[in-house]
Amino acid sequence: MDVTPQLDALKLKYKSVQVDKLIPVDFDLGNLVAFDTNALDTAALKQSPDNYLQQLARDGTQLLLNQIFALPTESTPDGVFAALPAGTSVLPRAKPIPKDKPMTRWEKFAKIKGINKTKNTRKVYDESVDGYKPRWGYGGANSTEDDWIKEVPDNADPMEDQYAKASEEKTARIAKNKTQQLRNAQEAAHAAKGVNPREARKAEVRKRILESKGATASMGRFDKQLKNEDAVKVKRTKRKFESNTRDAGVEKEGVMNVVKKVLKVEDGKVLNMTTAVKHVHQQGGERVVDMDERKKKKQKGRSKK
Amino acid sequence: MRPLTEEETKIFFEKLAKYIGRNIVHLIDRPDEPYCFRLQRDRVFYVSEAIMKRATSVGRDNLLTLGVCFGKFTKTLKFKLHITALEYLAQYAKYKVWVKPNGEMPFLYGNHILKAHLGRITEDTPEHQGVIIYSMADVALGFGVTARSTQDCRKLDPTTITVFHQADVGEYLRDEEHVV
Repeated sequence: MDVTPQLDALKLKYKSVQVDKLIPVDFDLGNLVAFDTNALDTAALKQSPDNYLQQLARDGTQLLLNQIFALPTESTPDGVFAALPAGTSVLPRAKPIPKDKPMTRWEKFAKIKGINKTKNTRKVYDESVDGYKPRWGYGGANSTEDDWIKEVPDNADPMEDQYAKASEEKTARIAKNKTQQLRNAQEAAHAAKGVNPREARKAEVRKRILESKGATASMGRFDKQLKNEDAVKVKRTKRKFESNTRDAGVEKEGVMNVVKKVLKVEDGKVLNMTTAVKHVHQQGGERVVDMDERKKKKQKGRSKK
Repeated sequence: MRPLTEEETKIFFEKLAKYIGRNIVHLIDRPDEPYCFRLQRDRVFYVSEAIMKRATSVGRDNLLTLGVCFGKFTKTLKFKLHITALEYLAQYAKYKVWVKPNGEMPFLYGNHILKAHLGRITEDTPEHQGVIIYSMADVALGFGVTARSTQDCRKLDPTTITVFHQADVGEYLRDEEHVV
């Protein structure tokens, strides 16, 4: 039996996997991209843009798939996999590169001394419970709170409460750490402004001293002076008023400027349309509403009868 | 005694403009004689230039009053108009209210004006507008703020308040020690 016509029909139905391009296409298999640098056929594009672009895309995809199939494959129960190489195209960042965090005092010191941070495991084995506990934090291995017994050191007062002492020391440590954090943040803020943190701190302290000295009833005038202490002079800005006997014309001008501003706001507030229309019709003049108008009319009507 | 600062002037005129509107210009721009505003012990005085110059020779502690007192600044820098300013407010009033003879005495004793006592009112007076209050014989009695607009006033219960009392000439007797 001759099956050539059937085969030809099948060939026509499915396009060839072979694609010819004048300039070879560039691939970035890691990102699954093909870059076709060939010139477009403008005549074909004008004639039927959709068909032409679809054809172009199909050819490109075919080439890309050919490349992928050429990669070394690995067959697993889930199917056949090809390992893609690393991408070669450089993609732009969406966000700017994060800035370096300012170094803390300890980090600076450690850098000078050459102290390196050693990474410890998060969990440690605890013999007492025969299991793992976090190194620090909630339920941590370093916690001494649930020790049922505490040794009293030789040189310590035997009546001293060791538990209270431990908890006091802990709160003190936390407080110290907090002040250090605050100082680091302040120093970083000063450094970011380009100010020497040490000088800035000095100026701040000096300002505070001055403020506290000026905070007495006499603004520090009758306070006891310490030895070698600089005499403090608190300078405050004085309120300044215009002279009473200023030229009347100048004063009037100043007041008129304020009035103009006030009236501008006042005029902007209300534009009563009916009043405006009436004003135009009647050329101003005061219009008054009599509250007893109707009553009077009624009475007049009655008297006529 | 000193001139008002720009901020004080602004606050003061904003309050005045509520009663006399654009006519505040006439207070400053007078054809007869130059007048000015002066602050003395938180009170604002409207005084002629000549008298003010003479008053400069009186010490701050000894100077009680000069010219006409328009009102005073509170400690929080709000301005409160006093009854003594009525003379000028009445002269340049934008919106007016006339009370009937039977409503005069209740108002002069510091009460609000009821609908029943309302004789006449300027047309198109908005709600919450500063108004000057007159007797039917056109004698200025004081000032206040409208509770209702003119249109709303027409169809009101006789006992509803139409104008809120702010100051009246009865204060000259009732509050004699405070009137400067």
